[in-house]
Amino acid sequence: MGESDSPVLSQQKATLSMTVPDSNRTSCAITTDYPPGDVAIWIFILAELSVFALLFVVYAFTRHYNLELFDLHQQQLDSRSGLINTLTLITSSYFVVRAVAAIQYGNARLCSRWLWGAIALGLLFLLVKGVEYQHHFSLGIGLSTNLFYTFYISLTFFHFMHVIMGMVILTVVALKAGRGGYCATEHTGVETAASYWHMVDLVWLILFPLVYVMR
Amino acid sequence: MQKGDHELLLTSTITWLLLLALTLVTYAAAQLGVEGKWLILGVLAIALIKGKLIIDRFMGLRWVGSFWRPMLDLYLFTVGGLIATAFLLP
Repeated sequence: MGESDSPVLSQQKATLSMTVPDSNRTSCAITTDYPPGDVAIWIFILAELSVFALLFVVYAFTRHYNLELFDLHQQQLDSRSGLINTLTLITSSYFVVRAVAAIQYGNARLCSRWLWGAIALGLLFLLVKGVEYQHHFSLGIGLSTNLFYTFYISLTFFHFMHVIMGMVILTVVALKAGRGGYCATEHTGVETAASYWHMVDLVWLILFPLVYVMR
Repeated sequence: MQKGDHELLLTSTITWLLLLALTLVTYAAAQLGVEGKWLILGVLAIALIKGKLIIDRFMGLRWVGSFWRPMLDLYLFTVGGLIATAFLLP
């Protein structure tokens, strides 16, 4: 997919180019105090992660006191859908990493393509999850069916909404990148969107085993 | 493109493949009928490893020193620890 740089070098690249000859450049052991993207998104990410953490822990302890109910209904979930969605989100996160790398090399068109790929995978995630919801609803299962489904639907739908929000952010950034709105020296927007999308992935990586697998 | 950049792109790709493989291991363990304490501990450990890979390699926090990486590491291990406690309580 062409020439690109690693996302982890974004903060260090300018300093490196001033102090180290190209032939001597290395890619590790350099620390910075600032995360990629806008610091404001990281405050937002910490807040979002805290809410999900609370929900995960409440789910786990509620399950402890309703073991039979949770085990019985968890087995009725389609774990293949969970697997497909996990592989989908991980791959979309990887596409976003490649998008950041592309823009760090100044290739805005390539950056945009990787972002559209990530958005397409986000759509696939929503489609698979939508089919899963449709199956449950067609059986008359809803939020008030029992405690397990209250948690299952609330947790996964809360995450579902975050996927939609992430896709909106990625779409705005992909359109701007496609118009040449970012370059190698100014691409904070791409890194900010990427950080949010990775957070959505990180949450799912805990949610999938917790709700679909662990019993 | 510098040699180090190639290496870091390769690292990202290897991380992606590792994340896919670990996900398949989690799924396979459940499908093979592994249950109870070992499934819980194994699956949680894999989830934490995957989370750490996302934080360090995809989010790019590997070389971010002061606050953000320790906060996300703390998050991961606190949530993992509390979930393990709830699942392993007698």
